[in-house]
Amino acid sequence: MPEYAQPDVLVSTAWVAEHLSDPAVRIVESDEDRALYTQGHIPGAVEIDWAVDLQCQVVRDYIDRSAFERLCAERGISNDTTVVFYGDKNNWWACYAFWVFKLYGHKDCRIMNGGRKRWELDGRAWSSDRVSYPRATYTAQEQDGTIRALRDEVLKHCKAGKQLLDVRSPEEYRGERMHMPDYPNEGAVRGGHIPGALNVPWPMNCHEDGTFKTAKELEKLYVKELKMKRRSPTIAYCRIGERSSLTWFVLTYLLGFGNVKNYDGSWLEWGNAVRVPIAKGAEPGGMAATPATTAHA
Amino acid sequence: MGVRERVDEIVAEFSDLDGREKLELLVDYANGLPPLSAAYEARKASEDRRVHECQTPVFLWTEVEQGRAHVVAEVAPEAPTVKGFVAIVAAAVNGQPATEAAAIPEDLLERLGLAEVLGILRARGLRSITARIKRGLAAAAGG
Repeated sequence: MPEYAQPDVLVSTAWVAEHLSDPAVRIVESDEDRALYTQGHIPGAVEIDWAVDLQCQVVRDYIDRSAFERLCAERGISNDTTVVFYGDKNNWWACYAFWVFKLYGHKDCRIMNGGRKRWELDGRAWSSDRVSYPRATYTAQEQDGTIRALRDEVLKHCKAGKQLLDVRSPEEYRGERMHMPDYPNEGAVRGGHIPGALNVPWPMNCHEDGTFKTAKELEKLYVKELKMKRRSPTIAYCRIGERSSLTWFVLTYLLGFGNVKNYDGSWLEWGNAVRVPIAKGAEPGGMAATPATTAHA
Repeated sequence: MGVRERVDEIVAEFSDLDGREKLELLVDYANGLPPLSAAYEARKASEDRRVHECQTPVFLWTEVEQGRAHVVAEVAPEAPTVKGFVAIVAAAVNGQPATEAAAIPEDLLERLGLAEVLGILRARGLRSITARIKRGLAAAAGG
């Protein structure tokens, strides 16, 4: 049976339970609903919130390098700390936080397989204690451009017909819906997908208990059925780059794709941007098939 | 005491707290939302009370009994923020004259200092809950 490409990046709830007081390990919770951490978290875990801690409040971007250094220092994370992320919703925000940590070059990042759901199912204890650690020293790297795609690069990638993956729901992909089922519309003007993008909704990466599918199952989906190539550059996107960071994680660490970027601008940028093409319907389409773009090409 | 005074009281309760304490108080409110009674549990199956704008399962009744507001809700345990906020709005209006429901401020989340703690995208979803409860009570009160 095939193994994950980098199996050490995933840890089990048992591993985490054994390392709760390991000073070399910091457990980090990232949730869709922040109050979950307040209500009960893994003993000793700190919280890093995607909206409040990781987003810059005045530019639509991530916090800058010095703010990231401060954030890590405050959470007692130094450059050599093993940081284990977990959270609600199949670890979707945990993968997002993991991705931001990689963006700033943190070496040892892991995901606790199954997240909150698996911890709960395994009958492990929650704590509502306040957690703080002595301030650490942290030096971040410049942002790693090899894992983040910005709009112009996505446009080039799209024109070149390279691998693009849309991880939103089929309704969003087809352009029938501008937001996730049951979520409010967060403001895209047009519905559809980036021409040429394949659609693999992000929950397809996970089992019912929140853990990732096996290497064999993932390989069947991406490599055998969709014929995606491990060595070809791939860009994944969703609505704001959160769900696609989970797919980025799966392709990079579990399947061993060599060059995957997350387009965090995602549909909220693309669906509103001037002079970028979109495709509607169930077919990937392609830029050559889009009259409006051939006119400008 | 009316809705306005109840809102002021709750706002005062939140006012001197830091971000972490605000979240703790929000969780206290969430934990205090009573489970559905058997009668509402039965109605849940037969009536369409699901709030579709909400990301997590929320069932909401906005009713008026003898002129008094009666808000009943069930929110999935994986969404304590929504649950806490619904509980706060219910605490502000329940037992008060339903016609006063309009006094729930649109910017309640900001006044509680929760908008900042939760971030813009989350705040948007919660605001629609306030609007929905106000609308529901106004309709039930015949106004």
